Amino acid sequence: MKRKLLGIIDATTYHEDLEDLLTHRSLAALPFAGRYRIIDFVLSNMVNSGIRSVAIFPKMQYRSLMDHLGSGKNWDLNRKRDGLFFFPSAIVSSDYNKIGSFDLFAANMDYFYRSTQEYAIISNCFTVFNMDFHPLLDWHIHSGCDITEIHQNGRSLELYLIKTSLLMKLIETRHQTGYSCMRDVVQDLHHEYSVCHYEYNGYAVMIDSIENYFSTSMDLLEKDVWRKLFLKEQPILTKVKDEPPTKYLNGSAVKNSMIANGGLISGTVENSIISRGVKIGKGTVIKNCIIMQKCQIEENCYLDSVILDKDIKIEAGTKLIGTEKSPYVIRKGTKQGALMNS
Amino acid sequence: MVKKTCVAMLLAGGKGSRLNELTKDLAKPAVPFGGKYRIIDFALSNCANSGIDTVGVLTQYQPLLLNSYIGIGSAWDLDAKDGGVTVLPPYSEDSEVKWYTGTASAIYQNLNYLTQYQPDYVLILSGDHIYKMNYESMLEYHMEKKADVTISLIQVPWDEASRFGIMNTSEDMRIVEFEEKPTNPKNNLASMGIYIFNWNILKEYLEMDAKRHDSSHDFGKNIIPALLEDQRKLFAYPFKGYWKDVGTVESLWEANMDLLAEDCELDLFDTSWRIYSVNPNQPPQYISSDAVVKESLINEGCTIEGEIEHSVVFQSVSVGTGSIVKDSVVMPDAIVGKDCFIEKTIVPSGVIIPDGTVIRSMDNEVILVTEDMLSELHSAY
Repeated sequence: MKRKLLGIIDATTYHEDLEDLLTHRSLAALPFAGRYRIIDFVLSNMVNSGIRSVAIFPKMQYRSLMDHLGSGKNWDLNRKRDGLFFFPSAIVSSDYNKIGSFDLFAANMDYFYRSTQEYAIISNCFTVFNMDFHPLLDWHIHSGCDITEIHQNGRSLELYLIKTSLLMKLIETRHQTGYSCMRDVVQDLHHEYSVCHYEYNGYAVMIDSIENYFSTSMDLLEKDVWRKLFLKEQPILTKVKDEPPTKYLNGSAVKNSMIANGGLISGTVENSIISRGVKIGKGTVIKNCIIMQKCQIEENCYLDSVILDKDIKIEAGTKLIGTEKSPYVIRKGTKQGALMNS
Repeated sequence: MVKKTCVAMLLAGGKGSRLNELTKDLAKPAVPFGGKYRIIDFALSNCANSGIDTVGVLTQYQPLLLNSYIGIGSAWDLDAKDGGVTVLPPYSEDSEVKWYTGTASAIYQNLNYLTQYQPDYVLILSGDHIYKMNYESMLEYHMEKKADVTISLIQVPWDEASRFGIMNTSEDMRIVEFEEKPTNPKNNLASMGIYIFNWNILKEYLEMDAKRHDSSHDFGKNIIPALLEDQRKLFAYPFKGYWKDVGTVESLWEANMDLLAEDCELDLFDTSWRIYSVNPNQPPQYISSDAVVKESLINEGCTIEGEIEHSVVFQSVSVGTGSIVKDSVVMPDAIVGKDCFIEKTIVPSGVIIPDGTVIRSMDNEVILVTEDMLSELHSAY
């Protein structure tokens, strides 16, 4: 597959429902599962499927995404030939939710001209899944379809496989055809191209709201889900942080939780996802929470159904309670004191 | 080659035979430590954090794992254009293979590596020790003292002093006498096996030593005494902080247990002096509803369904329900089945402990799970 498939990730998407978590970052860079960013899933799938050339089209607030991906080294994409390409969008006012906008691609046609890969996979940046693309490519080639759209339970995963030459033709003729993105093409029945659906039976969730971000995170605590997502032979790769192992101190009590490295835990943690480098003080209880990187929660706090974005400090004695449907979200880099919420 | 002020030579060829089966297939510096590291990570991270970007790593005993672990040094940010890490194995010349017969011979046979950098100073390190140290401060001290050689010393308990190379110094820290494992030590300042040499002095004495057939080509036994005899300026650099030679199963276990103390002297969480290692890229650890974790260090990729008490657990370990792991060290990829009881034990990498196994020390000595033990356990199972 090495020289056969191009990976194209549309990282321009913005979901208003996730606004509280997207003020400093793009959706692609949304932290997930304690140590990952959402884009790690599709990017690792591509790399694990042997794709050696990946183009990422970011937009707005892409600093954190750039910082995360760097040269692509952690995905083995810092190559002399092919590798990782960044094409930040110069177009300000295009529709956020068009996956694979042809206008975006058109601005970087050279990438397609210079690539030798026969096929291209076009993906969104917000699906949590672990998928091997080899069977998909084989299926696509044997079916003789022009465009394959990946489905799960009848619903589009906004993931498309197409011949690179056809993609280039669609991009170049977008003004004549009126197709502005891949979705336009697959939804229109009045063209000459054959569009097929490939049913993916594995685990896949598209993150598009706080509620489903929260529930998808909590599902990770189910052993079955966790095992479908983290496979030894298809690892999800991410930026390496060199954190020490997590240290459980006197007074810690942890149940049914996922804990990333670099933590210092002295309190109680239940049904929660704890990211890298989090400190949890003595007497503190964390239940049903998502705690992102480098948060510090001091002593005797009580947090239930709360999402703490990165770098948040919760002062001693603070009580924060949300609900499953509407978790209490605290924005990045803020400080919460016991008195502030009373 | 760009000239370098200071080049480090890291001795990593030791077998560490007192670690028994732990070093059957790998060199001592590659032995796992502290839940995610290998012993050599400490010296390499110290180099990186001290701004030393040129490091020769001398390997000999079972080098395969160590070589691939070090790679081009990118884990320690030592994959530099000029310098970086170079693995230096013994090599053959004309008609003979020149094995490294001692610490001095290892460096001597790589003088050409050093010559290409024309360094002012050479830092000699051992890949066997657990400690955090700023070599730059030691180098500044060396320059300040206008020393020929500076040796880093640490205070050891008096009753252990006779196990070490002991340095006797004058008031201004000049070394006047060196005693290798003295029966009646006059001092408790032990050599840490860390030396800074002026390049010309190192070269001169190594060349001299190489010609001597009665020499065991060892820094402690031969080079340092020769320098003292010639009244060269040898200074002691007193080091304060955590330092441990993890040369035995007991001391390796102990050093791991040291990390579990709330106020551990060796702070792995200090972001200004990170210890780097090759990242295993595993998902976060999963602690199940049945699990109990107390005073432990647990690394990524673990699945804990049993009870972990006062233990160090490396990446990708799984511990089944009903099992109790206490005061133990469980190395990478080991699997502890269900309903086991493991106490004061080192479980080596990749070992599978069958359900219901009990491993506990009867005489309070640390147990190392060996292949013989395993085949017995598996056949009983």
